[in-house]
Amino acid sequence: MPERSTYKTTTARRAPRDEGFVQDEQVILEGVDISGQWNKMYEPREIVDYDLTHLEELTAIPGAESMGWCYQCAQCIPACPVDTAGGDYGPRKIFRRLQTGMDLFDHQDMWLCTSCQNCVRVCPKEVDMVEIMPAARAQAVLDGRNVPGELLEMFQNVAEYGNPMGESARRRTRWTRKAGVDIRLLPKNPGPVDVLWFVGDYYAFHNRGVDAAQAMARVFSRLGVDFGILGVDERTDGDSQRLAGEPGLFEEVAEHNLEQFGKYEFGKIVVSGPHAYNAIKNEYPRVSHGKTGGDTYPVEHYTQFLAQQVDALAPLLSGSFARKVTFHDPCYLGRHNGEYDAPRRLLEAVPGIEFVEMYRCKAQGYCCGGGGGGMWLDGFAAEHQMERLSENRVKEAVEVGAEVLAVCCPYEVSRFEDAVKSTDNDGKLEVLDIIEILDACMEPIGEGVA
Amino acid sequence: MESNPILVVGGGPAGLEAARGAGELGYPVLVVEKTPVLGGSPILAPYAALTPDMEDAETAMKRVIDAVEADPLVELRTGTTVTAAEGELPELSVTLAGPDGEEVVKVGAVILCTGFQHFDPGRETQMYGYYEYDDVITLVDIERMLKDERVVRPSTGEPPKRLCFVQCVGSRDRQIGNEWCSKVCCGIACKEAIEIKELLPSCQVFVFYIDMRMYGFWEDQIYWKAQEEHKVQFIRGIVTEITKRGDEVVIKGEDTTMGRPVEVAMDVVVLSVGMEPSDGSREMAEIFGLPLESHGFIETIDGPLNTVSTSKPGFYAAGAAVGPADLEDSISMAGAAVMKAAGFLRKQLVGA
Repeated sequence: MPERSTYKTTTARRAPRDEGFVQDEQVILEGVDISGQWNKMYEPREIVDYDLTHLEELTAIPGAESMGWCYQCAQCIPACPVDTAGGDYGPRKIFRRLQTGMDLFDHQDMWLCTSCQNCVRVCPKEVDMVEIMPAARAQAVLDGRNVPGELLEMFQNVAEYGNPMGESARRRTRWTRKAGVDIRLLPKNPGPVDVLWFVGDYYAFHNRGVDAAQAMARVFSRLGVDFGILGVDERTDGDSQRLAGEPGLFEEVAEHNLEQFGKYEFGKIVVSGPHAYNAIKNEYPRVSHGKTGGDTYPVEHYTQFLAQQVDALAPLLSGSFARKVTFHDPCYLGRHNGEYDAPRRLLEAVPGIEFVEMYRCKAQGYCCGGGGGGMWLDGFAAEHQMERLSENRVKEAVEVGAEVLAVCCPYEVSRFEDAVKSTDNDGKLEVLDIIEILDACMEPIGEGVA
Repeated sequence: MESNPILVVGGGPAGLEAARGAGELGYPVLVVEKTPVLGGSPILAPYAALTPDMEDAETAMKRVIDAVEADPLVELRTGTTVTAAEGELPELSVTLAGPDGEEVVKVGAVILCTGFQHFDPGRETQMYGYYEYDDVITLVDIERMLKDERVVRPSTGEPPKRLCFVQCVGSRDRQIGNEWCSKVCCGIACKEAIEIKELLPSCQVFVFYIDMRMYGFWEDQIYWKAQEEHKVQFIRGIVTEITKRGDEVVIKGEDTTMGRPVEVAMDVVVLSVGMEPSDGSREMAEIFGLPLESHGFIETIDGPLNTVSTSKPGFYAAGAAVGPADLEDSISMAGAAVMKAAGFLRKQLVGA
């Protein structure tokens, strides 16, 4: 990746004055001096040129060709979570702005897409934003053109530490100490296992993620799952880095993880997060370098893995969870990979639960804002949107009367918990990982430790 | 027993197809064409290539012309007009005026294939400046350039760097009196835009439209192809007027999906002129006593399930004589008309 100093940030909006729209003028009105910049401020309304330079530059990038295919049906706009959150954004708008001379490399539209796939679902012309934006961003990162600072910081962290938080790799297994069950670390104990559990960064490092990781270990243990983890040798899955414009960094971590997988004998990989699921299932097989590169491994999201064993799981759910629960479909489990049933089957198995769907669910599910690099662009997004996507979503959960917002993506607990606070819904809505709900309904393990 | 011939008025795509069909069914047919050449608008305009398959217009029309010329049942009269009609079908006496003077022939049935004429943008000259500005031309004018494989800015003779089409000129306009869509101009603009980009890859080509009406397969065959493969830029919002700023022709309109007014200079502006009823249709309607429908085209009866029958038995019409029609429409209607004409004659002959 480029030197950090070559990056520029676009945190400051350009002042109208710099654009030449504003002139100073002396004005005295009824004896009061109202001279200032504001009295002549206007934006030119006329389009005086259709400068296609930047559109042509963009569509020449491999992967970004379909940006030029838009015929303005506008079906993408109501599907786009960013526009819905007041972002004045969306594929058809980007195309029109490009047609009227916008340089995407100098515009916030480059960084607002969360790669949620909802526009791709509805686009009749197959304008593929999930291909276009990563390709364009990769060019922006390569050329050091206006990449937001917070994103650069995250890339730097991944490059240095192997995780976006910049946590020391040695701390990856810290959470295991208080799980209440023994967790096999494959680097120390490399014998064959049924399940290689790819824990993920947020489960390993984030304080609420740790809760879920420990719950997962206990549920696995109660089910008698023979599993192990990569421990300190695990690195971030890299999918969000790829989508945010760092395909090189993605390849690097993918190769590392593939190399680790290659060391052990296991039946399948079970992942905590939909982004890791997408990466290992769809992207890792394309990684072509390295001696273990290009390998395809059987991989399941934990909800899929557990839903298959729901008959064995159900008898273990001795407690009751008598609360009204709704579920947020993660974009990368649902729309990107077609899994809508497994998380719902787990929730249905929970005794006492009252399940309610949100209006926007399954294929039409709303995005939490964390995908495609959005996880590390909250500051940038706040500048260009009326609200965060996670706030928009939390309001919907409250509107359908849910007391608990159940999730199964490690990005989401922290995002939605912040949104619950910022939308004044503290105390009204609790955000829980499905695995936490399952764990809570089981007989306690390691009392006093967990 | 042989019938009087079927009279086909007009030697364009519909007329020639009707003649070919009549011959194939074994009925004598007389084609009367007022110009000295066969082929109609594709040849007379002239069109370089047909929409949507882009086959060379002369080659394509030659196939049809060769077929009718080779058929002994088809008699072709070019440079000839119908000047009077008397009596009743199937013994109608028709006066023809041709290069060799007047002649009266008896005909058994009549198919009018009198086509259309292009809207004359001079009728709204204050808006688009067709006769004032050299660089404002029509899609017929650019067809001629495409036929010569030399697209230039008329005022300079240089290749244009930026060219736009303005759709719906003379169509869909109550003020002008043309309250119809001409059906083919969107497709022809796309076809021509592709041809321009093939000749001049660096020329930026824009199409300003109200809505693109790309029926059936034209959608992907020429509209998507123009946008996706040839990078033609489609901008929703029709041009209100064209003005001159120095040497530049400036289009003024609204870019409606941006909600912003447009004032952009173009090297060449191509007006996508629509179809109007031809003088020939009006004259023939008068001579044969056939009513015109409200837009001024020859009236057919029975609605969508019968596109070719007029209010008088034995009289049929096909192609753009009955309303805006593309080639596929015209050819299909010609087939329907000759089938009905043959049926009419057969009833007379066998007395069914």
